[in-house]
Amino acid sequence: MQFYSNLSIKQKQIVWAWGFLALPVLFYGIIRFYPTGTAFVISFQEWNLLGDRTWIGWENYIELWNDPVFWKVFVNTFEYLLIGTPLSLVVSFIIAYHLDKLRFMHGFLRMLYFLPFMTSAVAMAWVWRWFYQDVPIGLFNNLLAAIGIPQIAFLNSTTNALPAVLAPAVWAGLGFQVIIFMAGLRAIPQSYYEAAKIDGVGWWTVLTQITIPLLRPTIVFIVVFSSIGFLRIFDHVFNMTTNNPGGPLNSTKPLVLMIYDIAFNGFNMGYAAAQTVVLFLILLLVSLAQLWLLRSD
Amino acid sequence: MANLSLRTLTKSYGQTEVLHGIDLDVADGEFVVFVGPSGCGKSTTLRMIAGLEEVTSGEVVIGDRVVNHLEPKERDIAMVFQNYAIYPHMSVKKNIAFGLRSSKMSKSDKEARITEVAGILDMTHLLDRKPAQLSGGQRQRVAIGRAMVRNPAVFLFDEPLSNLDAQLRTQMRLEIKKLHQRVGNTIIFVTHDQVEAMTMADRIVIMKDGHIQQVGTPSEVYHAPANTFVAQFIGAPSMNMLAGTLTKDGVVLASGQTIATQHANGTARSILLGVRPDDLTLEGAGQAIVTGHVAVREPLGAETLIYVKTDAGEIIAKADGRTPPEVGAEVTLSADGTNLHVFDADSGAVLR
Repeated sequence: MQFYSNLSIKQKQIVWAWGFLALPVLFYGIIRFYPTGTAFVISFQEWNLLGDRTWIGWENYIELWNDPVFWKVFVNTFEYLLIGTPLSLVVSFIIAYHLDKLRFMHGFLRMLYFLPFMTSAVAMAWVWRWFYQDVPIGLFNNLLAAIGIPQIAFLNSTTNALPAVLAPAVWAGLGFQVIIFMAGLRAIPQSYYEAAKIDGVGWWTVLTQITIPLLRPTIVFIVVFSSIGFLRIFDHVFNMTTNNPGGPLNSTKPLVLMIYDIAFNGFNMGYAAAQTVVLFLILLLVSLAQLWLLRSD
Repeated sequence: MANLSLRTLTKSYGQTEVLHGIDLDVADGEFVVFVGPSGCGKSTTLRMIAGLEEVTSGEVVIGDRVVNHLEPKERDIAMVFQNYAIYPHMSVKKNIAFGLRSSKMSKSDKEARITEVAGILDMTHLLDRKPAQLSGGQRQRVAIGRAMVRNPAVFLFDEPLSNLDAQLRTQMRLEIKKLHQRVGNTIIFVTHDQVEAMTMADRIVIMKDGHIQQVGTPSEVYHAPANTFVAQFIGAPSMNMLAGTLTKDGVVLASGQTIATQHANGTARSILLGVRPDDLTLEGAGQAIVTGHVAVREPLGAETLIYVKTDAGEIIAKADGRTPPEVGAEVTLSADGTNLHVFDADSGAVLR
C-alpha cells in the first residue's frame, strides 16, 4: 500500500486503467490473438486436426496460387464487395435522405427498414430462397410469369446466382446503414441548409456541396464496415445454396465458405489457414485503402 | 436597397399564435435592432422576413413587393446566422463565393466582387484558410462576407455576436456599425442583449410575448419607455419600481412619503413609480425620494452600485466610485422630478 500511495496522480491513473483493462486484454489475448497467431503458424503446416502437425513451409501458399477454385472464389469475393458495398451505400443513402425529410410515419418506416437487420440471416436466406424458386412455387417467377415474362433461373444459373445471393445480404444490411446515415444527416446543423436556401442554390448543389462532404465521416464508417461485411459473407450463401454450398459450380462461393469447406469437410487445416491469412491480408489492405481514399484533409 | 414593411404579421404553430400582428416600417438604409427576452418572437419575425418561416397572415414587403410567397433567394436579402453557418469543408474564399453561386455574374466579376468584399472586411490574407483555422471573430467576418458579397437590399443578422466572448463582441459590434455606415444597406439585427441594441441601432424594436412593446431611437426607449417592461429591459442596472398611489397631491409611496410629480390627478389610482439608478443622487439635489441603509456595494471602478434597503423595497443607485457610502450607512436618495416615470400598476403603461 505504501508503494501505491507514493505514486503520482498520473501513475495512479495508469494503475487503475490497467486494472480495468486487464480482463479484456486477457480475454482478447486468449480468445482472439492467440488463435490468430496460431492460424499464421498452421498456414505453414500440414494438419488434419487429429494427427501430427508437419512443417511444410510455403507449400500451402503455392498450392493456393495454383488452385483454380481459389481464384474463382477470390473473384467471387471481390464481386460481393464491389457490387455489394456501392449498391448498399447508394440505396441506404437514398432511403435515409428521404426518410429524414419525412415526418409522417417516420418511426414506423424506420422500424420497417431496420427489421431485416434484426432478422436471423438463416431465416432470411431461406425465405429468399423460396422467392427464387421456379413456377409455381417462387414468388418472383410467379410474378414474372403473370406478366408474361419467361421465368429466370435465379439460383441455378452460374451468372445469376451470385447477384441473387447478394440481394438479401444487401437488403439485410440496409437498416443499419440507414440508421447510421440518418444520424449523420441529423448532425448537420440546420442553419447550413438555411444559409444555402438564402443564397438560392439548388438541391443538387446542396446535396453535393454541403450534405455529402459533411457526411464524409459517416460514409467512411459505412464503407469500411460494409466492405468488411461483404468480404466475410458466408451465412447467406451457405443457407441459400445448402445442397451444394457455393454452387452452382462454385459460382457463388466466397472465401470464407471455401475456408470452412476445406477445414471442416476436407480437414486440411493448413491449407484453410493459409486462405485465412490471405483473407486477413485482403481485409487489411481494403480497409487501409478505403481509409486512405476517404481521408479528410 | 429598399424599405421594409411588416403589416399585421402573425405566426402560428398549429393552434398556438406566437406572433400577434406585428406592424413596422423600416426606412431605406436604416439599422433596426429587434430586442427582447428569449421566446419573444424576434427571431421568428426575422426568419419570416428571410423566408425561412411561412407567414401565417399579414404581409412582408421589401421594396414595393409583397414577398410572402417568394423563395428566400428572390427576396433580395442576406442573412448572418448565430452559429455563422460557414461550411467547414470549404476555404474562406469558397464560403464567400457560395453566396454568388446562383448569381448570373461572369466569373471575373464574381472574382472581383469577392476580392472587394474581402478587402472591406480585411480578410484578404485569410481567403485560402479553412474555417477551423480561424478565430471566432474571423469566422463571423466570413459569415458577414458571404452575406455582403451578394449586395442585398436588406441584411438580416440573427444574434450574430452571442457566440463570441465579451471583448470580441464589443469589437464586432463596432465593426458592424462601421460597416453599416460605409455600405449603407438596410439592416435588421436580432439580439437579446440590450447593450447591443442601444449601441448599434438607429431604432430599437422591443418585443415581448409576440407583441411589439415599443419602437424608438435608443434615446427614446431609454428616456421615455412606453411601459414597465421596456423601462426595466433597457438600461443596466434596471429601473427601480416603487409601488404607490397617484393622488391629486402627487405620488404617495408605500412608505407614506408623498412625491410631487406632474402626473397629479384627481382620482386616486395604483401606480408604479420608476426611477433609474443613474437618476438617483446622494447629494440631495432634486427632491428626496427614499431613505434607507446601504445593504450591498458593487464597485465598478468609475462608479459604485449601492443596494439600499428602504421601506419601499430594495433600491439600486449609483454612487461615486471613489467615495461610496459605507455598508450600513443611512442615505437619502433624491431625483429630479423630470426623471421620474409613472406607470399604471395594472397595465404597466406609462402615464404622461
